[in-house]
Amino acid sequence: MDLSPFEKDNSVSCRLASQIPDVCKIEDCCLGIDEAGRGPVLGPMVYGICFCPVSKKEELKDLKVADSKTLTEAERENLFQKLDEARNFVGWALQILSPNIISTSMLQRTKYNLNALSHDTAIGLVQYALDSGVQLKEVYVDTVGPAEKYEEKLSQRFPGIEVTVRPKADSLFPIVSAASICAKVARDRVVKGWNFSEDLGELDTDYGSGYPNDPKTKVWLLKYLDPVFGYPQFVRFSWSTAQTLMDSKAVTVHWDDDEEDGEKAAQRQNNRSMLSYFGASAGGNNQNPTHQTHRFFTERRLKSLDTL
Amino acid sequence: MSDRWGRHFLAAQKKPAKLSSSVEEDALRHDVATGAICREVYIHAERMSSNTSVTRVHVSSVGQAQKAPVHLMPCEIEHNGSAQVSQYLTATTKDRKYEKTVSFRGRGLKGQELSCPQGYTGLVLKEINKPGSDQEDRTVKVSSVFDKLTYWNLETPPNSDDTIVMAMDWPELAEAIHGPVED
Amino acid sequence: MAAKKKRTPNVQNDSWVVVAADSVIDTDRPERDPSFVRLRNPSTDSASLYMLGGDDLQLYEVKAFEEDFHSWFVGQTVQRDGRLLFVTPMDPLFLILPYLIKVGKEGKFQPVDQVVMDEEFPACSRLLSCTRSQASLHHIAEEKEVGSLKFHRYSQEKTMTWLKKKVERTVVALKKRNISVGEGVKSTTYVRVKSESDYHEEDYLRYAHGLISEYISEDLSKALLIHLELPELTSPKETEPPSKKRKLSDKPVEAGEDYTKFNSADFARKPPKKMTAAQKSLAKVDKSGMKPMSSFFSPKVKAEKK
Repeated sequence: MDLSPFEKDNSVSCRLASQIPDVCKIEDCCLGIDEAGRGPVLGPMVYGICFCPVSKKEELKDLKVADSKTLTEAERENLFQKLDEARNFVGWALQILSPNIISTSMLQRTKYNLNALSHDTAIGLVQYALDSGVQLKEVYVDTVGPAEKYEEKLSQRFPGIEVTVRPKADSLFPIVSAASICAKVARDRVVKGWNFSEDLGELDTDYGSGYPNDPKTKVWLLKYLDPVFGYPQFVRFSWSTAQTLMDSKAVTVHWDDDEEDGEKAAQRQNNRSMLSYFGASAGGNNQNPTHQTHRFFTERRLKSLDTL
Repeated sequence: MSDRWGRHFLAAQKKPAKLSSSVEEDALRHDVATGAICREVYIHAERMSSNTSVTRVHVSSVGQAQKAPVHLMPCEIEHNGSAQVSQYLTATTKDRKYEKTVSFRGRGLKGQELSCPQGYTGLVLKEINKPGSDQEDRTVKVSSVFDKLTYWNLETPPNSDDTIVMAMDWPELAEAIHGPVED
Repeated sequence: MAAKKKRTPNVQNDSWVVVAADSVIDTDRPERDPSFVRLRNPSTDSASLYMLGGDDLQLYEVKAFEEDFHSWFVGQTVQRDGRLLFVTPMDPLFLILPYLIKVGKEGKFQPVDQVVMDEEFPACSRLLSCTRSQASLHHIAEEKEVGSLKFHRYSQEKTMTWLKKKVERTVVALKKRNISVGEGVKSTTYVRVKSESDYHEEDYLRYAHGLISEYISEDLSKALLIHLELPELTSPKETEPPSKKRKLSDKPVEAGEDYTKFNSADFARKPPKKMTAAQKSLAKVDKSGMKPMSSFFSPKVKAEKK
């Protein structure tokens, strides 16, 4: 697994993929989807797909791939090695969503929630497999949300493919377990070797699992809180853990789309309507209230001052 | 001034109490002989004295002023003071073809550089020896200089319609309005 | 997510980001330091901030670019105040003019230093030290020399000629700079109705007149409008439906016609960048499946060969 395309710019989203086994372009295939790193406040979320001919399901089972969560890191690496050796009939692809992409999407003006982001990422990967010529017939997906809706969405999106969305699919279907191993291996490697693009010198990399309740993660988040910038891009700013820490220990930052309480918002509506752009140019003691500043200035937000 | 006072005085006397709306009139009505007028005199005096005070620009300080990168951020940061700008912002800024991108506090920003208009210099002025009252003269020095700035939009790609870009029209227009006319 | 904190007032601001004409700092003697002063704004008749250059030789106007929710990073610091101040050379005659007009009603020739006086704004007499003041007084006043003494009397006729030249200069600059002077605002979010070349000369004149009017009294502004042979716009702007398109005609407009149709031109129709309540609630909706996610998939597809 060559992570260098992501490591070159770990602020964006990046796809990594194996070569497509020739047999997958000829025979009917099954495909599993799973994710790794949904919960942590640190590092990327990785989506993985794994696919092989339906006829090779038994051979995949023989590789003894199991739910990645029940395995140690060493066991996962070992299994990924086996998958790689089976490259003549098993293919995979990954989408690494950087923590920065997660933060900026979830905090976007038009909010883009994590479920939508996950679904769209999964759809993108399935589409990638189709575009690469994989003869997809069955898709198995692990899910955290309500399975029925997601199943319907995927079935509609990919007509002719039998979609099975199932909680704990990674322990039920070997092809999902395989996808889960690929995703988890990538996430582990990326987190372990995270290349901080900030210029912060040597950083303590003992950040634990990255889950908000991990004491090591908590200590790390306290240690690396900057009063102005908050955190390096390694941290998901959209997580309440990060937000709460910044609220209490960093300087307050206001954006024009901040939610405000009703009274203040109403006041704003009144005060900062179009009318405010036509306000008189000088300050408080304006004796000529009929004077309207020319639109050259109001359009450019230029105004006179009465004091420095 | 006496004209205005007279008018207010009359208005206050004529108007029935419940119709009177302005604070000034109310004050006059309740306190006609003493307090209100005294207050207005006081405000007037204060305004006049602040008009006499000037803020001197210590221009020779420009020689020691450092050239500093300046960024106009699309958010209000409730802080005046130091910040690790180069370590966080500059280090993570991506220079793409038509725009720069970076994120601040988890929000995606897009920006571009903007040069100072021809014949203009960017200055950062800083107040030194802040006086105790607004009657006293103030002094500012030039603490930094710049010839271009980077402005950032929240998510929106930089565009010639951005207000800061349009505001840079002003010096050239000002030259047309204020330049000498021929006889 | 924690509730957003309220904004606190920015008290004790002590630094400013400024874009200033080079002449402001082009001085090497400390006794020639420029200074910010408060003078009477001829348009509003109240205090505005100006700057006088070293030895009071040059007057500057101070304007602030100010948008809500902005701050600066300057070097390795934050400056909460996100304003950008422009310090641009200003014609001192604009500030001298109201004093001449006031005294001019008496119809006498007077020494100008006895005219430009203001107890509320004592710095106004410094305007006469500006290089251009004495040299250009003849644009707005008749001059009489008695021995070594000069006397002046306000002349509306001369002033109109002078202001008209200002308007013409401004029109040239507007065209050169491609400033959108027609209805609405140049904006990529709206289809432009007219290209720049379609603007009528009158659009430019009216726009330039509006700009010059920022520096003169309302009475003078009206007089200048007549001098420019531009009909006055009378009806209140609020009654004009914003969708009404401005009609243009090559024919000179006759006085007495209904000029309300011109009013929409004065109204900036740039949409506010903030979202409406409806847009905001829409924004909170789960967009699953509604947005093509191609933007999240960089083209860095790489086939692995291990």
